[in-house]
Amino acid sequence: MSIFGFHYQLERKAIGLVLGIVLVSSIGGLVEIAPLFTIHQTVEDAKDMRLYTPLELAGRNIYIREGCYACHSQMIRTLRDEVDRYGPYSLAVESKYDHPMLWGSKRTGPDLARIGEKYSDQWQVAHLINPRDVVPVSIMPAYDWLLSTDLRTDDLSAHLKAQRAVGVPYTDEMIANAALDAYGQANPDSPRAEGVTKRYGKATTVRPFDGLPGRLTEMDAMVAYLQVLGRLTDAARKPVAQAGAVQ
Amino acid sequence: MRPFPTFSQAPMIAQLTRTERQNAILICLVIAACGFLLAAAGRDDPISIHGALIFVACALMIFRIGKDYYAPEPSDERFAHYYDDPSKAGIVLSMAWVVVGLAFGDWVAWQLVYPDLTFGGGWSSFGRIRPVHTTAVIFGFGGNALIATSLYVLQRTTRARLPDQLSPWFVLMGYNLFCLLAVTGYMLGITQSKEYAEPEWYADLWLVVVWVVYFLIYLRTLARRKEPHIYVANWYFMAFILVVAILHIVNNLAVPVSLGSAKSYSAFSGVQDAMTQWWYGHNAVAFFLTAGFLGMMYYFLPVVAGRPIFSYRLSIISFWGITFFYMWAGSHHLHYTALPQWVQTLGMTFSLMLLVPSWASAGNALLTLNGAWHKVRDDATLRFMMVAAVFYGLSTFEGSFMAIRSVNSLSHYTDWTVGHVHAGALGWVAMITFGSIYAVVPWLWKRTGMYSARMIEAHFWLALAGTVIYVFAMWNSGIIQGLMWRTYSDSGTLAYSFVDSLIAMRPYYIARAFGGLLFLIGGCIGAYNIWMTIREPREAEARAGDLPEPRLAAQPGE
Amino acid sequence: MNIEHDVLVGFSKSFGLFYLIALSVAVLIYACWPSNKQRFDRAAQSILDDRDRPWR
Repeated sequence: MSIFGFHYQLERKAIGLVLGIVLVSSIGGLVEIAPLFTIHQTVEDAKDMRLYTPLELAGRNIYIREGCYACHSQMIRTLRDEVDRYGPYSLAVESKYDHPMLWGSKRTGPDLARIGEKYSDQWQVAHLINPRDVVPVSIMPAYDWLLSTDLRTDDLSAHLKAQRAVGVPYTDEMIANAALDAYGQANPDSPRAEGVTKRYGKATTVRPFDGLPGRLTEMDAMVAYLQVLGRLTDAARKPVAQAGAVQ
Repeated sequence: MRPFPTFSQAPMIAQLTRTERQNAILICLVIAACGFLLAAAGRDDPISIHGALIFVACALMIFRIGKDYYAPEPSDERFAHYYDDPSKAGIVLSMAWVVVGLAFGDWVAWQLVYPDLTFGGGWSSFGRIRPVHTTAVIFGFGGNALIATSLYVLQRTTRARLPDQLSPWFVLMGYNLFCLLAVTGYMLGITQSKEYAEPEWYADLWLVVVWVVYFLIYLRTLARRKEPHIYVANWYFMAFILVVAILHIVNNLAVPVSLGSAKSYSAFSGVQDAMTQWWYGHNAVAFFLTAGFLGMMYYFLPVVAGRPIFSYRLSIISFWGITFFYMWAGSHHLHYTALPQWVQTLGMTFSLMLLVPSWASAGNALLTLNGAWHKVRDDATLRFMMVAAVFYGLSTFEGSFMAIRSVNSLSHYTDWTVGHVHAGALGWVAMITFGSIYAVVPWLWKRTGMYSARMIEAHFWLALAGTVIYVFAMWNSGIIQGLMWRTYSDSGTLAYSFVDSLIAMRPYYIARAFGGLLFLIGGCIGAYNIWMTIREPREAEARAGDLPEPRLAAQPGE
Repeated sequence: MNIEHDVLVGFSKSFGLFYLIALSVAVLIYACWPSNKQRFDRAAQSILDDRDRPWR
């Protein structure tokens, strides 16, 4: 122990092992992940793709908060039965604004990648309040409190700003009007509604999602999000349309 | 050293020097201040509850240290012994987490049979308590067991005492604070949604600090070792610590909404995020649930069996094989998705090659037992380890099989995956951990043996039966599900609706929940047995040192 | 711009293969090197030895 050199030798060797482990283990990830950051050069692009509105983003965050991704995937694989059951297979570009992605890993319930506008708002609300009212054998939990909980909107601007920091192209105008746009999207009769379609495109749905106009609830956000799933871009429907696979 | 009956008598703090006690209080004060700031910054946000939780946890810790602050300082005699107090606490915490984690697991399993088995509020619904289950068993149970046993093994194999007495406590307590933030967060609705990496940005940052200290303990102890060669168990523990750090940091890169908000947005999106997440997810299995527990196995199995490892060379070869191959395999979680096909193919190829080092490890363990089968028959502790090695071999084979694209097209998204994970988690991880804990508890607390050998037997059979029932139920349900989803009728349409497959699952979900219940009962018996071993000291013959005594090595014959 | 991605992918695929072979050979040589045998045997045996306290 008194010999410093001896001590030093031993220490070096442990560090050699450390470096060895780091070198050997990091290669696999680097080789597979790094090229993906240039993937936009090779995969399809969707010029018509729109952003999540503040209300849809808030709904997406509720979807995450409640752990919906644990039972519902949002990734239709390139297999015939999946395309027949759920719709055109998912493209990479469709989740390019998804921070994080919600592809999922398990289907205790069905895939939701193309659930948007497949059912009415009323159906979605009734189903979320108690799934067994609509599908008697369903084993999905009830989310009735979404309807009685007001949506938090005061921090939506900050959310959009954070999204912009990770690469989603929200404009200053979108960020400044986030809270009002959330209100407007669920209240078509309010003066705020117009701004939503102006900023996010004509295809944006402006409806009283939870059936309670005048009040902005978490149910509004959740249903708004579910109704936009698979509808941010038409890119996926184009190639498969010829194959005859429709929802 | 006299035996320490319970924790509340706290000889643990008296073991710390006055300076260490002061530093401990100082560290707690700093963390408490951070907690206070979080609580203040996020008044309208769930993060404030976590800030308050951190503050209260630190305050309790300060009181605890303060109570024994004036206890006499430990004598220099302590340097003649290994420092095992953190390992003891880690094992107790680990057993507490396993009971909680298994209970939540069985609860979520029953929720799939009776979906209204909640308390109405959001906190108790499936989506929120499922991650409580996974985090409590993987990180709470597995992580604490790994920290406890790695510190034990590290000292014995290097013959060096831990470099100081404070940093291991920092690691253990800090790690448990992370786990606590994680599981309470899910119930409050705080989650990143990345599977097995759900905790939010502030908890992730905290874990990085804890992990760096853990790594430094390892390096500093290794630097003081006697033998130039580092025993292979430590290689596995090192790989576990290092690679988990890399994975954790990369996968959790995110931008928080604000410093007063629990919410953050991942730096990655879409296909890059999916690849990063499953690179993380698969290697969390590799380096947390495999490498770490192989480290445990390579020490405890030979010592309990009283025989050196069958082939040391093979253990080295499989070490590098596992370290290298696993990192490529993550993309097999994304077959037939929007991920480029060449990445999928690479993932599948390496997953198949992974079978070689995996079976080398499993075979090495079983061949070590060859010639000691009478011990396996008589001693449930060793039997736990043997069954663990068998399940390790089985589930690594199953994993490679399921990584084949055509198999995966059937198995993915179904319960088969859940069954596979539990064959590994219950059969391999939990069994090797229970075996190691049953071995190490009497050594640590200086007892002649466990409180009840019959309870270990009962635990063993309950655990084995529970695992087998669970895995068979999920194989059946998964394969039926996969087949029903892809079956076409004669007219060329899909034969079954999704709801049809849901109805078909019900009996298997009941069987699964029942199997889980057996495993939970076993875990409770184990926790009770360990607690009684600690609490009721039988007249232990004074043992001079703190060597792990191979309990059966006394038997000659072999 | 397409070339950049292809180059990266091509490099990944070829480099990965050579790296795999080189690493496997290196590990096998290290593990089977005759003079290492004694050290490994000692290590395997060491955990069973009766050394019950820190070495200093």
